[in-house]
Amino acid sequence: MRSLLAIEWLKIKRYRTFWVLIGLFMVLLPLWNYQIAKGIISIGGGDSMGGINLLNTAYSFPSVWSNMGFWASTFITFLSILVIIITSNEYTYRTHRQNVIDGWSRLQFFHAKVIMVVVLSLLATVYLFLVGALFGWVNSGSLSNLFSEFYKVFYFFLLSVNYLGLGLFLAISIKRSGLAIGLFLLYTNFVEHILKGILNSRDGAPIGNFLPLQASDELLPFQLMQMMKSLMPSSETFSDTTYVIATIGWCAVYYLAGRILLLRRDW
Amino acid sequence: MSNILSIQNLSKSYGAIQALKGVSFDVPEGSVYGVLGPNGSGKTTLLGILLNVLLADAGTYSWFGGMPPDDARRQIGSLLETPNFYHYMSAYNNLEITASLRSRGLDDRNSVLQQVGLFERRHSKFQEFSLGMKQRLAIGAALLGNPKVLVLDEPTNGLDPAGIAEIRQLIRTLSSQGITIIIASHLLDEVEKICTHVAILKQGNLLLHGPVDEVLRQEDWIELRANDMAALQQALLTLPGSVAPSFRIVDGLLQLTGAQGITPSMVNEHCMAQGVVLTHLVLRKKSLETRFMELINK
Repeated sequence: MRSLLAIEWLKIKRYRTFWVLIGLFMVLLPLWNYQIAKGIISIGGGDSMGGINLLNTAYSFPSVWSNMGFWASTFITFLSILVIIITSNEYTYRTHRQNVIDGWSRLQFFHAKVIMVVVLSLLATVYLFLVGALFGWVNSGSLSNLFSEFYKVFYFFLLSVNYLGLGLFLAISIKRSGLAIGLFLLYTNFVEHILKGILNSRDGAPIGNFLPLQASDELLPFQLMQMMKSLMPSSETFSDTTYVIATIGWCAVYYLAGRILLLRRDW
Repeated sequence: MSNILSIQNLSKSYGAIQALKGVSFDVPEGSVYGVLGPNGSGKTTLLGILLNVLLADAGTYSWFGGMPPDDARRQIGSLLETPNFYHYMSAYNNLEITASLRSRGLDDRNSVLQQVGLFERRHSKFQEFSLGMKQRLAIGAALLGNPKVLVLDEPTNGLDPAGIAEIRQLIRTLSSQGITIIIASHLLDEVEKICTHVAILKQGNLLLHGPVDEVLRQEDWIELRANDMAALQQALLTLPGSVAPSFRIVDGLLQLTGAQGITPSMVNEHCMAQGVVLTHLVLRKKSLETRFMELINK
């Protein structure tokens, strides 16, 4: 497993797009959150305009984890696109074939990518932790509540594996970078919301919440929605544990579907 | 001599098109095995199956007497169809990946790059290479870690004449070191010049296979001319030991065929003795191309 990761690292460490997208994620996440904390980015006008800012500006512990966790879950798109580009590049330049010709099994090729998804998610989570700790420390004045609601950081890890895993699966099944990125963005931004709307408008449990990415989004919801939900008469809701299980389930689906596809298909 | 590779009954179709139809043959150790056939005859499909990038519909193959395929591929240097490398990386760094995939050391990168004439350009990115240079790098990558077997699909694609000659020389050198080489080509000339064995494919069927001199048994003929052609013909009728030689005159030259075992010197001696002075005497071999066209047009 170590050698799979080592070879994967050889492939990407000299790839400029990799560093650009990683850099964008690393720069934009703190910058965006900083501006929200300061009320520079706001909805409904900040204090200076005498309105009520609908964005949560609380970055002390523990709210920093849910607040920044939500924004990180939107910026994770950069890393999903990175996974799609890196994987579909292998198909474009036919290096996926060469990897197998030179001695990897098909599963080793797949597992190297799966490991990359997990490691990237782990690194993104560690980064979220570091930035969150810094924001929380500055806004709380101490680190004493650092680990309050810390499980939200773990939620982010799961969410990241889910988003990157879907990206990997799309890249493997579609093989073309542009089309895979397009479909991924269409799905995350529109299709899933439409499907969720249709499913949840029916009577009974909001099963639309269990759509692939939505299941994870429920773990780190938009703060405004969270507030509104708590004011509404409780429609049927599911516990975080249910969504954790659903997320893990979807990740297993991507893994198994990708594995079956790669083993049965001509390369 | 044991077999490096044994192929049994491989079949493969793409939809309605059957690319391979029950192909079987063995590749002996130390041979230079040419897989010959026109475009679309199934050569690349066959090699793709042997390298596990394509899945056969039926049939089996075994490398090195049954080594697990993933292990076997690490012992084989391969070039399939196109040179496939990471476009944003240099030749040198690309070879690091190849060596790692094969679980080999990194110490022979420079010598391999020298062998294929890319040492000076080793730090250039792959995407800046010409087609011929890419092909050379692919051959270089195949040579990494001294593989026991080379599988080369159209290795001289995109190379200039000097490059083609170099690669041929390289293949001869490697073969003399005992490396088994499987080479797919539609260039007959290539096969004729370097192969010891040949398998001929046509539309997925294996037409013939075996040692080159058996499969492509060449019929020789002797070309003659004398100032007095009538006397020459007269003289040839008494050619000793011949099993009814036949001759005909084409473009003022007499072609003597069916004279197996008769050498030009015997003919010369005989004619001299008969008082006929030859002005032209050449041993001609039927070209492989002619033989090949006969085979695939049957």
